[in-house]
Amino acid sequence: MTDDVDVLIIGAGASGAAFAWSMADTRMRILCLEQGDWMNPGDYPSTRRDWEVRQEREFSPNPNIRGLTQDYPINDADSPISPLNFNGVGGSTILYAAHFPRPHPSDFRVKSLDGVADDWPLDYAALEPYYAVNDREMGVAGLAGDPAYPPHQPPLPPVPLGLAGETMARGFNALGWHWWPSDTAIATRDYEGRAQCVNLGPCKSGCAQGAKASVDVTYWPVARRAGVRLRTRCRVREILVDDRDMATGVVYFDEHGIEQVQRAEVVVLACNGIGTPRLLLNSKSARFPNGLANRSGLVGKNLMIHPWGMVRGAFDAPLDSQRGPLSCCIWSQQFYETDRSRGFVRGYNMQITRGLGPVATARMGLARGDIPWGAGHHEAFARRYGRTIGIGICCEDLPEECNTVTLDPALTDSNGIPAPKITYRLGENTERMLAHGLARGAEVMKAAGAWDVYGEGPVRQTGWHLLGTARMGEDPERAVVNGWGRSHDVKNLFIIDGSVFVTSAGVNPTPTIQAVALYIADAMKQRLANLFD
Amino acid sequence: MIASPNPASALTAAQLQTLDAVLNLIVPPSADGRMPGAAEVGVPAYLYIEAADALPVLGEELDELERRAHARYTRGYASLEQVERIALVEELRAQTPGFMNRLAMETLACYYQHDRVFEGLGMETRPPYPKGYEVVQGDLSLLDPVRARGKIYRDAP
Repeated sequence: MTDDVDVLIIGAGASGAAFAWSMADTRMRILCLEQGDWMNPGDYPSTRRDWEVRQEREFSPNPNIRGLTQDYPINDADSPISPLNFNGVGGSTILYAAHFPRPHPSDFRVKSLDGVADDWPLDYAALEPYYAVNDREMGVAGLAGDPAYPPHQPPLPPVPLGLAGETMARGFNALGWHWWPSDTAIATRDYEGRAQCVNLGPCKSGCAQGAKASVDVTYWPVARRAGVRLRTRCRVREILVDDRDMATGVVYFDEHGIEQVQRAEVVVLACNGIGTPRLLLNSKSARFPNGLANRSGLVGKNLMIHPWGMVRGAFDAPLDSQRGPLSCCIWSQQFYETDRSRGFVRGYNMQITRGLGPVATARMGLARGDIPWGAGHHEAFARRYGRTIGIGICCEDLPEECNTVTLDPALTDSNGIPAPKITYRLGENTERMLAHGLARGAEVMKAAGAWDVYGEGPVRQTGWHLLGTARMGEDPERAVVNGWGRSHDVKNLFIIDGSVFVTSAGVNPTPTIQAVALYIADAMKQRLANLFD
Repeated sequence: MIASPNPASALTAAQLQTLDAVLNLIVPPSADGRMPGAAEVGVPAYLYIEAADALPVLGEELDELERRAHARYTRGYASLEQVERIALVEELRAQTPGFMNRLAMETLACYYQHDRVFEGLGMETRPPYPKGYEVVQGDLSLLDPVRARGKIYRDAP
């Protein structure tokens, strides 16, 4: 038995950190349990010559490849897309690209505008102040004035376009299509104790410079100084409830594998769209035989992953494309809003990415047959290395109840806790959208002057965005939590991660995950006197 | 950069000899001498450290090459002429999809991390951190036509 706390947060990633930071000013006793460790930036691959190999192994975003003791395996055999994550202080922000687009206002009114899925119980205007706070705390770089968005002012100047970004910009201009420098959670100037980005390149295996806004270097230091406690290597097995349907705390395994009980007045889940339903489904009891907070039957359903297409183009001119933040450059939202003449509703973001390192260039070339064994190898490599640009096609994924997170009957983590199983397929609307995106990506590559263009999708190792599995809404029969994150079934249980998304939008979700977490924190603070009514 | 323990415990001397003969087929030295061949960058030690799980299959593939060399040319693979080596490997790769793919992938990983290769490519032999790289900021006046077209997002009720 350990000391009781007022607020217990499970998970120290993007949402848990933002929430902890916001709640710190209440001076309540706040504790966060995190199954992973603190990261040491000196260990990140970019500090070593063999960075390309390291980032495929112990820094792989796929927990089944990484296989660290603090990871839990995910059965993804019944999905064309593998879920990706990271378990540690910072969560998946340790390995994310820091590409930081907001959704559009229309993303919160999908049913009203396009007749599909559901509207959110909140809207862009309600979240806008929290996006702005989050931009400031994370240190977002960008350029004001993007006509794809309502006005907002990123606090830092944009990441450099580089020759690759300029090349693509000319291609978009030739077609009369939208493009803009990406909003990016990377410090392009020294910012709040973080050093300026020096274009290391492999942002997606941790930023040794500390310029990328992973929450272990943004929110957490501030929250801890304000009194929030963070306990690492603690893996929660189950949430406890009493006979009044109130959460009383959790059972967890500590760093020595010893079972502990942590009592709490409020329990807050911040474990992402797979970890959160997994924990709820593992918290069965007589009063909740189908999993905690699951009287709607929707825990684990409506999983959305953002099927991802990838188009690459090779250019004649040297572009130094391997330099700069790998996945942050410019974006295009030309095909973001619904146009039914395209054969689908909703849309996608085009995320221009830079070139790959020498190992990845050579291996991809070999796998595709572009860079052969033997004679011709060096010439073929030289035609692609530093001269290749990518476009990621981030497709909005509509919620479907057949896409699920369940518990695997056999697979467990290192503490013996049942592991999640993913059952997922692309919907017809998404299939058409992805095909459209791949074709438009190829079109703009050619307009930009690429001599070779190829694309594929859905790309398997792209399941970063784990959303929708404990959706929010005011109807307890159609939602797991209400419009401010409180469980309909358990009045002192809150969910603040991407699980609560009603729809997925067509952009990277971290800014919205964090804005929603900050919104919920404020909603709770405004209701402290009657939080459980 | 990469430690080099003795790989002999994982591959036999004969297998290592065959491997040495195969590596330059994957990445030969460049004609101008600027780029080394893959046999010159320490691939066996790399395999031992980074791809130990692949060694049993690799050993079988190398043995198969050796058997084919003896059957067709009555001498070991390493003794063959270059055209004969290429012919045998290509034949096996055509017959057995995936033959030596893992070796090729690991060889490329080793090769493109090696100092001599970096120097041949005109790159500094250092990790990205702490020095980083210069990237041109880019011409933001390219945004003028985008600005001129105006708002493209929908208002929401």
